[in-house]
Amino acid sequence: MARVKFLCDVERCIDCSGCVVACKEGHHVPVGVNRRRVITLDQGKSGEKSISVSCMHCADAPCIAVCPVDAIYQRDDGIVLVNKKTCIGCGYCFMACPFGAPQFPKGNIFGARGAMDKCTFCAGGPEENFSTEEKRLYGQNRIAEGKVPLCAGMCATKALLAGDADVVADVYRERVFQRGSGVNAWGWSKAYGKE
Amino acid sequence: MQRVFYCLLLLTGFFTAGFAAFVYAREDPAAAGPIADLLTVSSADYYQALIAEVAGNWQNYGQLFTTLQGQWFWKASLLTITVVPGLFLLHYLVIGAKHFDQGGEQVLFFPLLTRVVHFFGALSFSLLVLTGLMIVFGKYIGGGTLIRSARYVHLLSAMVFVVPACMMLVIWPKDMLPRRHDIAWLVLLGGYLSRRKKPVPAGKFNAGQKMYFWSVTLGGAVMAFTGYVIWGMGADVESVRLAAIMHNTLGMGLLAFYLTHLYMAVFAIAGSLQSMKSGYKPKEEVDILHSRYKYQQGQEAKRRF
Repeated sequence: MARVKFLCDVERCIDCSGCVVACKEGHHVPVGVNRRRVITLDQGKSGEKSISVSCMHCADAPCIAVCPVDAIYQRDDGIVLVNKKTCIGCGYCFMACPFGAPQFPKGNIFGARGAMDKCTFCAGGPEENFSTEEKRLYGQNRIAEGKVPLCAGMCATKALLAGDADVVADVYRERVFQRGSGVNAWGWSKAYGKE
Repeated sequence: MQRVFYCLLLLTGFFTAGFAAFVYAREDPAAAGPIADLLTVSSADYYQALIAEVAGNWQNYGQLFTTLQGQWFWKASLLTITVVPGLFLLHYLVIGAKHFDQGGEQVLFFPLLTRVVHFFGALSFSLLVLTGLMIVFGKYIGGGTLIRSARYVHLLSAMVFVVPACMMLVIWPKDMLPRRHDIAWLVLLGGYLSRRKKPVPAGKFNAGQKMYFWSVTLGGAVMAFTGYVIWGMGADVESVRLAAIMHNTLGMGLLAFYLTHLYMAVFAIAGSLQSMKSGYKPKEEVDILHSRYKYQQGQEAKRRF
């Protein structure tokens, strides 16, 4: 079975945060919870780069390893999902995650964290596909509809790629061949410089 | 002649410009930040700069926490709750409980205030241990509402436990200070390895009780602080990771102490649970297990509280 993958092309990402807004709106994610974020390094300095980060659906996911109640699981296609009805909000997954992906809604009893919420790769959750329960807890299930995740689908510069790992890698490799990468990539001098 | 002069001038200009560019290029990355020259270096370096921004230095404590929590904490906890009671069962079967003359003369050992403080301490600490274990072994109990409630009870019990723990620190520290005879008690293992009723060197509290007292009060303070950090995540993620590691490691140590205390109170010394309710211990027991304790007898003792 194909394995899915996210890839953010830092040469193309323009920090528009469209992916963040699309995700939040499309899944009705509560305030304070961000399934996807755009991180900008060296903002305002030369060499500034932005990258869109969410759950990376790791092969050997640390969150699955540390979960004390086995609420997190991985599908055959690599998508890591959480069962919100099993989750106890202990926050171990957040501590284990190298991407800061797990998020917790606030405002519960005793200031406790609610059930963990994170990027589902737009694949819903353990509930029945397209059920109201799935929509309420996890948002849309675009994978079951045969569509790409919202964030990648709406990315204006097509910096964010999502889908079959091999296809995503091919697209990216093609780009690097054409434009180069790093200091050799296109930019101001390539666009406006003289031959 | 003029051409040579022009050539020299041009060459000097080139060298100066080259040198200036070289110096600028060397200084620029430092001034611009961690990734100004990131794409001339490896993608691993770029990733490290990014991840520091997103989730702290994962390789610092994140990796350690993942390994410990994923593989070791539950195994070590399982070992603690099987091996420790297993050893005590063996002790109970081979050596057995200590029996003292319950009908004989009694000594007031725990005045009312200490009994009340101990009761609330024991209740809340037992709940802490129980709910803590429920969280550790949550996956075998199914998770969900039950374990979520266990977390709430864990928090509430911790808040309750702070009060008796602080009061114990007021009531008992004098009796709990280490003495020289405590070493002898430790060497003897409190005389629990023999059936003979030979006086063991201990004051009001023996070395084991002292160790338990200090680990529960001082260790409890560490547990309370790290627990607070974990609960609210009111610190940067690296501190939260470190707090979780400390909380779970120390928690297992306290669990082992708790099980020991429980065994002593409920099984190893017959009637010991009763004396924590009434406050009185048989004189025979005090003379043997707390041989250095200078107790007051008769009516005088009753007036102390």
